[in-house]
Amino acid sequence: MHKVTFKFENSEDVTVFAAFGESLLEVARKTNVAIDAPCSGNASCGKCRVKLVSGELDSKKTRHISDEEYEKGWRLACVSTICADVEVLVPDIASAYKSRMKVADLSSPDEVKIFDDLKEQVEEAGITLANNLDVVQVSMEVPTLDDTMPDNERFTRVLQKVSERTSIQIPYSVLKKLPDILRAGNFQVQVIIRKTNKDVFVYDIFTKEENVVVGGLAVDIGTTTVSAIIINMLDGSILAKASSGNGQIRYGADVINRIIESAKPGGKERLQKAIIEETLNPLIRQMCKEIHMDPMHIYRMCVAGNSTMNHLLMGINADPLRTEPYIPAFFKTNSLFASDIGIAINPDSHIIVAPNIGSYVGGDITAGAFVSMLWNKPEFSLFIDLGTNGEIVFGNSDFMISCACSAGPAFEGGDISCGMRATDGAIEACTIDKDTMEPVMTIVGNEGQKPIGICGSGIIDVISELFRCGIIDPKGKFVREGKRIKRDKYGMGSYVLAFEEDADSVKDVEITEVDIDNFIRAKGAIFSAIRTMLAYCDFDISMIEHVFVAGGIGSGINMSNAVHIGMFPDVPLEMFQYIGNSSLSGAYAMLYSTQSERKVYEIAKNMTYLELSAIPQYMDEFVAACFIPHTDASLFPQQ
Amino acid sequence: MPFNAKSGKFNANINTVELGCGDKKIAIGGENVLPFYTFDAPVENAPKVGVEITDGILENEPECVKKYYEGCESIADMAKKAASLEGVDFLCFRLEGGDPNGADKSTEELIGMVKEVAEAVDLPLVIAGCKNAEKDAELLAKAAEVLDGKNAVLLAAKEENYKTVGAAAGLAYKQIVGAESAVDINLAKQLNVLLSQLGVSSTNVVMNVGTAAAGYGFEYVVSTMQRVKAAALSQNDNMLQMPIITPVASEVWGVKEAVASEADMPEWGDAEQRGIDMEVETAAAVLASGSNAVILKHPVSIATISKLVKELV
Repeated sequence: MHKVTFKFENSEDVTVFAAFGESLLEVARKTNVAIDAPCSGNASCGKCRVKLVSGELDSKKTRHISDEEYEKGWRLACVSTICADVEVLVPDIASAYKSRMKVADLSSPDEVKIFDDLKEQVEEAGITLANNLDVVQVSMEVPTLDDTMPDNERFTRVLQKVSERTSIQIPYSVLKKLPDILRAGNFQVQVIIRKTNKDVFVYDIFTKEENVVVGGLAVDIGTTTVSAIIINMLDGSILAKASSGNGQIRYGADVINRIIESAKPGGKERLQKAIIEETLNPLIRQMCKEIHMDPMHIYRMCVAGNSTMNHLLMGINADPLRTEPYIPAFFKTNSLFASDIGIAINPDSHIIVAPNIGSYVGGDITAGAFVSMLWNKPEFSLFIDLGTNGEIVFGNSDFMISCACSAGPAFEGGDISCGMRATDGAIEACTIDKDTMEPVMTIVGNEGQKPIGICGSGIIDVISELFRCGIIDPKGKFVREGKRIKRDKYGMGSYVLAFEEDADSVKDVEITEVDIDNFIRAKGAIFSAIRTMLAYCDFDISMIEHVFVAGGIGSGINMSNAVHIGMFPDVPLEMFQYIGNSSLSGAYAMLYSTQSERKVYEIAKNMTYLELSAIPQYMDEFVAACFIPHTDASLFPQQ
Repeated sequence: MPFNAKSGKFNANINTVELGCGDKKIAIGGENVLPFYTFDAPVENAPKVGVEITDGILENEPECVKKYYEGCESIADMAKKAASLEGVDFLCFRLEGGDPNGADKSTEELIGMVKEVAEAVDLPLVIAGCKNAEKDAELLAKAAEVLDGKNAVLLAAKEENYKTVGAAAGLAYKQIVGAESAVDINLAKQLNVLLSQLGVSSTNVVMNVGTAAAGYGFEYVVSTMQRVKAAALSQNDNMLQMPIITPVASEVWGVKEAVASEADMPEWGDAEQRGIDMEVETAAAVLASGSNAVILKHPVSIATISKLVKELV
């Protein structure tokens, strides 16, 4: 056995013993040391860089590490095996996926606007914005020697009277504090209840003086990113909003790798722990801290995620999703409570799960389709959710059809050598001068922020600009030379957006031919899915009247550039509308409005699921779409 | 009511591409009908048959082919002999010894042989590479240079090396660029687009859309060729209107049906006949699917296919 020490820039060392020949990445995983490895350790993404501080590592050289970097001690964890005692530095960029959890600033109107707009649209569609949680004020007779009714009886009777229901359910958590609260409030209390046609359930009890907030939690669990909001269930206002990386990412960047990992012994538990204990609970704690709220005052939760994320959240075997005939364990469930899976909110909270409709079209899409309102329009719309999986819904008020395609994590910056999410330091927009090939970039963050990497919307811009300037050919290979074009010793070209000295990174911020190739596949998957699905319904692109684009790619997405590279169909630009994280806003709608929740179930029931892998021409369409803009240039007449 | 046959003539044409120079110049393509549909419209140029020799001279030839070249000591001897075979329209010289993972012959040595071949025969020439994209870029660019004025086909530019091969063959020396893709209509078209964006005139391009020996995933080959022709003619897709040239010999003479000895496979019958059969079947099938030229090896196959074409067109 050899001693392996992981060192960090900002925290304490972690030491562990490992056997000769063990992979460093595996050792790190076992020890819970977070090293980002979106490709699951195939040496294809080059993200798992560590720096050898002392000792030895048996490490292969790869194209991701230059000779100079190798000399300095940089290694890829996935191709390094243990051969002696060793100390490695895990750089902060490697653990960047945790990405310093980001709490949104709700004072900025943009953050709240999307929810306000949604509420307006939902009401216009004739849906009531209300739910069955409520706060009621009750006062009881103070007990005396002549009136010796027990507390819970007294409490039940008054609630029966106030609520006009006979069945009143008081859980243990309320019973436990009932005597104290009743006496502290002199038998005048406020009660948080859920009132249905049949009964009343008591969630919590407070003295009259206390400032009571009925909290709700809406969460979008993305394969790469998790975002959440805490709302006031009584008026629908947003109290806090935050996002972070999905802690499961170290078990693989895409759903397939996660499922494979979950099928290993103890895997379901590991993945469930990664999402709940390492991601959701810290996120909830952080938001609650920000707004000085007790997490126990959150009484309902709604989750929207893809089918795999839903299964893994609940610790349910997801393996059948991956293998033919691709069967999920459930589409819809009504019986999940916070205490079942250890979410750190009120244990009696009901968890609403946006329904899945297929193995690869999940609740994120049913919730998103609701938000797009395409079900409420007579004209045809296309809804595209750009995530690790690209999902597409097409239809109108009469019918809806959906499909999913594997776009890979490129839209969220994964699988791209300098890729990152749209956080500080990300290049989110770019133009390039055709003659000098010099870029002009917009970078997320405060003024003077140096670029660190590039996010989805930035990649679209860069590729579109490189193509427009004739720097790359339609296959994404570099055909011009210049100061900003580099070639490695294998001949692979790259375009340098920011040289090391101008970047807040240990290397040049660049986009390589491999990155472009990955991105072309991602955009090819989306476009070919759109074409295949439309052709399947005997429709063509000219029938589309709205295109709703959702996902974490960022509001900065330049639709014109996205069309220019052949990612979206060539329809007039005014038809495009970016609707943000529709999975989260859909979860919000379901959480706040019971009628919206029902509508989402109805949408899910009425939506047809098209399995693209069962359609032979999909592969043909895909190859044709892996070209800028497309092998069939007539599909992009505006260019 | 009398039966009126509807003509299957299209309003689009396959490009006519001329190969070689002087008296022996040939043209391929030009048709506006499906392969051999002479009843719909005359087929402009009958499909052509080429003979393949390699830089190994006799070394790598199948036993049954060697006897036809008896006494040939140099590549020039062999080229002359090949050119004299019955039914040969053009000569394909394959530089297979250039493969860095094989004999790894130097570019100078191989280009020297290209010159010898060019001096020995006056047939149109096809220079085929060693299948290693990097080495081919070098070999074919150099071959394009030394064959200046010969209007030869350089086989092939692939996605990986189209810039070098295309620039040398198609732009600098005005030869014919062979564009090779792997049995996929979209990949074939993409390479043609890349070449045309490089500036190579589409009438200076022929395609090798990929092939296989009959029985070896051959249905993909057939379907690809048919769809290429359908798109070129019925949709007037000018990025797929290049004629197709299919190197059959290099595929066929590697499969067991063609090379297994009678000692190993007595129940399969005469080894030479088997090889010829494989080559003829494959060539006939790719011609019927849309190839405008085939490259073969065995003199009997060449004569057979040549006769077949003459009878049909």
